[in-house]
Amino acid sequence: MLHTNLNLRSSSSAQRGAALAVVVHVVLLLAVLGQTVYLASRHRVRVDLTSEQLWSSSESTRTLLEKLDQRLVVEAYFSPQEKLPVTFRESRKWAESFLDELVQLGKGKVVLQRFDPNADDSVKKRAERVGVKPLQLTNSSTTSLSVDVHWQGLRLVYGGGKQKVLSQFLPSSSFVAEAMLTPAVKELVTVQRRKFGYMEWPVTAVGQQTPGGIGWNVLRSHEGISKRYEFQNLKDEDGALLPDDVDTLFLFRPKDLTDRQKYVLDQFVVRGGTLVAFVDAAEYAIGPQRTFSKIPLQLDATGSKQPFLGQLLHYGIEWKPKLVADMAQRAMSPRDPLQAPYEYFAAPQLDQFGRQRMVPIAYPYFFHPLPVDWKTSASELAKDASGKVDETAAASFRERFVAGMPSDEFLFQSFKNAGRGPGFYWPTWVGLREKAGGKPDLPPDVEGRVHLWSSPAALVEDPPQMVNPFGGARDAIQRNTEYAKFATKLRERMGNEPRLQVPLMVEVKGKFSSVFAGQDRPKRPSEIKEEEAKKAEAAVVDDPNTPEDESKQDGPPAPAKDDKKGKAADKPAVQEPPMRTTGDRPGRIVVVGDADFLRDDIVRGDLAQGGGPVSGSMAAPFFAQMLDWLAEDRDLVALQSRSATDRTLRFVADTGATAADARATEKALRDKTSMLRWSNVLLPTGLLTVLGFVVLIVRRAQKRSFLASLR
Amino acid sequence: MRETFVVMRRELVSYFVSPIAYVFGALMLGVLLYYSTEVTLVQGARASLDGFFQWLPFLLLFFVPALTMRLWAEERKLGTLELLMTFPVTIRQLVLGKFAAAVVYLALLLVLTLGLPITLGAYGKLDWPPVLGSYLASLLFASSFVAVGMFWSSLTRDQIIAMLAAMVSLFVLYQLGNPQNVEYANEWMPAWLVDVVSSISPHRYFVSIARGVLDSSHLVYFLCFCGFFLHANALVLQARRQRG
Repeated sequence: MLHTNLNLRSSSSAQRGAALAVVVHVVLLLAVLGQTVYLASRHRVRVDLTSEQLWSSSESTRTLLEKLDQRLVVEAYFSPQEKLPVTFRESRKWAESFLDELVQLGKGKVVLQRFDPNADDSVKKRAERVGVKPLQLTNSSTTSLSVDVHWQGLRLVYGGGKQKVLSQFLPSSSFVAEAMLTPAVKELVTVQRRKFGYMEWPVTAVGQQTPGGIGWNVLRSHEGISKRYEFQNLKDEDGALLPDDVDTLFLFRPKDLTDRQKYVLDQFVVRGGTLVAFVDAAEYAIGPQRTFSKIPLQLDATGSKQPFLGQLLHYGIEWKPKLVADMAQRAMSPRDPLQAPYEYFAAPQLDQFGRQRMVPIAYPYFFHPLPVDWKTSASELAKDASGKVDETAAASFRERFVAGMPSDEFLFQSFKNAGRGPGFYWPTWVGLREKAGGKPDLPPDVEGRVHLWSSPAALVEDPPQMVNPFGGARDAIQRNTEYAKFATKLRERMGNEPRLQVPLMVEVKGKFSSVFAGQDRPKRPSEIKEEEAKKAEAAVVDDPNTPEDESKQDGPPAPAKDDKKGKAADKPAVQEPPMRTTGDRPGRIVVVGDADFLRDDIVRGDLAQGGGPVSGSMAAPFFAQMLDWLAEDRDLVALQSRSATDRTLRFVADTGATAADARATEKALRDKTSMLRWSNVLLPTGLLTVLGFVVLIVRRAQKRSFLASLR
Repeated sequence: MRETFVVMRRELVSYFVSPIAYVFGALMLGVLLYYSTEVTLVQGARASLDGFFQWLPFLLLFFVPALTMRLWAEERKLGTLELLMTFPVTIRQLVLGKFAAAVVYLALLLVLTLGLPITLGAYGKLDWPPVLGSYLASLLFASSFVAVGMFWSSLTRDQIIAMLAAMVSLFVLYQLGNPQNVEYANEWMPAWLVDVVSSISPHRYFVSIARGVLDSSHLVYFLCFCGFFLHANALVLQARRQRG
């Protein structure tokens, strides 16, 4: 009995001991594994699997940090992460992650200093003083309402002097963090701003109180641009030659050009300058009413002998002052079709509940180039009404058609990734000078290429008086009728006119000869006045009837007819260098067939309320990257090309066909989506089900035969 | 190793000779693909499997316990566990073999969903490396769930209890990594503790790999997580064998 009790006692104590051993074992194992995970997180290897390396810093950041010759102090005004609401905590994670990477890449040149403005009042005051803005977030519960103040801003100080403040640094990914921070660092390390000259001819403001018209100042004065580039207005009424320190000149919608102005431009490109012109064939009134009626625009000033078109042709650029429309549906689809502000054209329509809302409508005069190799669509475009391919036409298309963005220049990289170029508004034809047969015919020592093309569904016409798709109709029914007429007319033209692609941006470079060679140099207005004054003086001297001394005459002295003239006559003539007839250095001319997409009101979004157009999200990066491209500043190239690749799903291929039958397209799309969806759901599940049935039947047969063998 | 492979093969065959694999697989794929294609196969949308990989963890929460509930509980109920213990294999090999079989089965199911990325790739520029990374993350995530489910199955002979216990514990683990819960916990727990607790959740690491960043520490985490539960599973079976 005693023996049994002892056995039981020892057995239960052994069980307790074993249980304790298991518990200790598990706890120790947990500790070891926890430590392993912790150590692994401290010494980790990270591989970014995305093709565009979206989660890693780009070459731009690395190159810039290598260029730092002074210390870059990053003051991070961050309130504690654990107090942040969950929506901002992710952002903090990306911010911290990128800042850590920045410090590592900086190799001692980048110093990160953290401050918590919520913990120290003096730090808070300093944060406010330098321009860091707090996030004030309302926190409400059933019993209380409070406003929580959080901080997440940065101040970058370079070399103890130059500084840049990011008042709120709230990236949504490490990629966005880099896109915010790296350009800021670039601004700080930029020692000397590159100088660009410009001349602009403001747009007539319709229904707005804009003195002097609408210009192109918004983009030029954009903070990210103006910190790195300096713009100087060189539109001199007296037509002075451009200063030697200006090597790039922008023309924004040139018009009323005098021969003297053309001479200034000529001498500029002949001496090796870079001329960039944003041109329009016509000016249309937009304004609040969006009448889209033509406003007179004359390219050459009255009395000008040298046409500007001829001048460009001389350099190898053919500008046909026509209006271009692109009927390819994808080309005129806005970037975000459902969201205001409307990139292209939206009009009020009544929805099913009778509410009026803005709906984007197809307007082929507003479109963008597409990075599509249109040769591949040749067969599709050569189909006749019955769907049969005209092989001769297809072969001709394959020979003629080119990619919408054929250029490999870094300016276009991010646009190629985005799947579209900047949106143009009433663009015009700007291409290379061509011989008969369509081959380029460039001057000697000049090479050129077209950078942007429309789709092969382009229509070209002389600028009509009115391009309003609603024809000025006020009510919805009338508008619909007018729009149907407008669309039918364009479709008919599409059916009757040959398929062609229109060049929209062209570049020529090389040693240009002067278009004024062999002619007299056009004189400056002041020179003309001076000569006139001299002539008048000479005429007075030569006139025998003129008294020698008018003051001796009786009566009051005659008033000076033109005092300025007299002054001009007194002024010594300005010595101008002789005309350069041939270039000793290569110049460069870039012409873009639209100026509207960069103008202030369209970039700024002034017309957003009325249904657009608003170009800011595409025009601003285009202009900024164009400046880098012209300046050959490749520091931010890797950053720009990191913009997300266009991964848009297209179940119905865009062949450049017109938007003729939207309903048929929609039905085809619906059918295809449905087919793809159900095949994806049913194929694997059906496969498993069929296999299951097969196994079941085989098993049953096996069972039956087994039972039969037993009998 | 060979023994582990033999156990795995036996277990896999047992899946496929019974209707379980087919019914379970068809149901899971049907639900997963039906809902995920609704958000991924949309004209004009980005060619991405984000919608698919958002649904997957949530579905695994229900389907994995249903798969693992029978692994040990059924053996115990049918009395075959004792028979298994007499085989010339160690308990670790048994556990690993069953675990590997379940993971291979789930991997086969994932392979059957490859039609979706292929479709997306045909109609848009699908970024394949992160997609393959997401598949790897899904497999690791599913493996961690299998390890937990197997552990609960070893504790009871009732399959329903095993399934419910696994489901509840996996749900808790899943929710520990949910940012909203983390925020709530922050209000009454010290930050370091919240960080430690949330770092237990496999969901957190799954999300990180699925977005396209493969981090060695995340792989170590999944290895440790699975290793811990499989070891605990082996301990339970060991104790049971010792008790006779």
